[in-house]
Amino acid sequence: METILLNVLNGITFGIMLFLIASGLAVIYGFMGVLNLAHGVFYILGAYFGLAALAYGVPFVWAALVGGIAVGLVGLVVELVFLKRLHKQLNEQVLLTLGFVYIFANLARWIWGPYAKVIDAPAIVSGSINIGSASFPVYRLVIIAAGLALAAGLWLFTEKTRTGSVIRAGMDDKEMTTGLGVNYGLVSSAVFFTGTFVGGVAGFIGLPIIPVYPGMVFDILLLALIVIVVGGVGRIEGTLLGAVVIGLIDSLGKAYFPDFAYFTMYLAMIIILLVKPSGLLGRGK
Amino acid sequence: MGEAKNNTAKWVWLTGRHNRIAYIIVGLFFVALPLFMPPYLQGVMTKALIFGIFAMSLNLLVGYAGLFSLGHAAYFGVAAYTSSILTVRYGVESFWLAAPAGILMAVLVAGAFGFIALRLSGVYFLLVTLALGQLLYSVALKWQTVTGGTNGLINVGYPDLGLPGFTMNAMSFYYLVFAVLVISLFLLYRLIESPFGVALQGVRDSETRMRSLGYNTWLYKYIAFVVAGLFAGVAGVLFRHYSTVLVPTDIGVLASTLVLLMVIIGGDRVFWGPVAGAILITFIVHYSSIYTPERWPLILGGLFVLAVMFLRGGISIYLVKLWKRLEYHYGSIKS
Repeated sequence: METILLNVLNGITFGIMLFLIASGLAVIYGFMGVLNLAHGVFYILGAYFGLAALAYGVPFVWAALVGGIAVGLVGLVVELVFLKRLHKQLNEQVLLTLGFVYIFANLARWIWGPYAKVIDAPAIVSGSINIGSASFPVYRLVIIAAGLALAAGLWLFTEKTRTGSVIRAGMDDKEMTTGLGVNYGLVSSAVFFTGTFVGGVAGFIGLPIIPVYPGMVFDILLLALIVIVVGGVGRIEGTLLGAVVIGLIDSLGKAYFPDFAYFTMYLAMIIILLVKPSGLLGRGK
Repeated sequence: MGEAKNNTAKWVWLTGRHNRIAYIIVGLFFVALPLFMPPYLQGVMTKALIFGIFAMSLNLLVGYAGLFSLGHAAYFGVAAYTSSILTVRYGVESFWLAAPAGILMAVLVAGAFGFIALRLSGVYFLLVTLALGQLLYSVALKWQTVTGGTNGLINVGYPDLGLPGFTMNAMSFYYLVFAVLVISLFLLYRLIESPFGVALQGVRDSETRMRSLGYNTWLYKYIAFVVAGLFAGVAGVLFRHYSTVLVPTDIGVLASTLVLLMVIIGGDRVFWGPVAGAILITFIVHYSSIYTPERWPLILGGLFVLAVMFLRGGISIYLVKLWKRLEYHYGSIKS
């Protein structure tokens, strides 16, 4: 019983971690129509920038913000200089961001080396709680709380604020929105900044659970892509549900079918696609 | 607006009276080329032509069906691995048995993956092809008893064609690959010029219109997907004779994106563009990985950015323009 509970808890933690990884990508694609394949590389850059801040004695939470903001600024440059000229050209966006994956991953390897970096959770939350005879790290509960808070914040922002409705309007009809006097260029830059910021913060606060190294960029990207394919895009709830489902499937799969652990995630994705191609909560076109 | 912008670069064909001359000159150039090259450069050139077949197969999807696949190395890899496993684990030495078996496996896997991926369109298609490609990569990585994991499969060198008194060397392997490339180009050209190919391009330009004209657009895309898998398999079975060892990264996302770059840099709007791109990129990767073994991904990434921002039509459009200019200048004198 305890092991089942523990597996479920680990699955939820991994699921929330997946949500943190995928939500930035989902926001940028779902509310801006830009497919940013460099999301995995922004994730590791967030971790590296945060680590650099930590090395200067910046406290953990502030280091996470520094990492996020630094990555957001890098993302902003990519958006303003390059992606802005490729509006609605999805294939070109894909190729361009693919190029940046190689460039940034190689720069990261150059600066920080090829080996995995990992840190301990901050002292206040480094303990663990006991569940019967098993124990569960407190930091994982913090991650779960952070993920749920992010989901709630993004949902409130996109669905309940004026800026959120401008973003959704711009997604549906850019020209009409601009014609109504909205500075859509500013709005889309803000969305891109937010998406990369969230990705960068995720990279840093995930460090005590997921070690970061330059070679992982495509693995992270793939996790994010699987989550948004399974969950469906355009709605934050979809991404959250997709992430938790995939997290649970992965964790339970590893516990009960260890031989196939590597493939359960893909299998789940394929089955969901065959049954419901628009994803679990996707706005079917 | 964005849609229209996509189509401004015109599809370019060599339609002039002297296009045969161009093809003969280029053909003779490739036939004569190895005679003037040291063996190791013959090797690089062979690799470039193998990737030329591979890139042509991808362009059937990217250029002619409008389907961006990010996992095309899967079919290349399945073919390479299948024929290598047959040779290394089961002792099948003959090229005439191992190669068709590899190509068949590529077709079967493309048939299965195409069924899944083509349930989706646009960005989802792209994501799912990437995920399916990585799925096969992880099979190659984890199924160590058969694939050798990261150690890979040590290969058998040049293919055994079973001809008495004939052993293949670097130069004859080059000619074999070149012959396969020419046959593949011919077959793909016939396919694209056929009613099927024309309809496929109609599906690319406007799927809704083709569907309302009564075409089963899904089937057209599916067939294109499987045929692209077949030719990727052809390239795969040749590649395993080229590389001394076959490792999972040969079929992973790097290989898939590299072949996509070849298509884009070469030009997806000129029939033979991907071959030009394959040759260019193979040599760039070869030399940059010699001179800066650590930094060549920077060059690769830079090429992506360059191709998208400044060279969207690819180099082949410029080659065609150059030829047209030459034809304009000298054509009237010759005829």
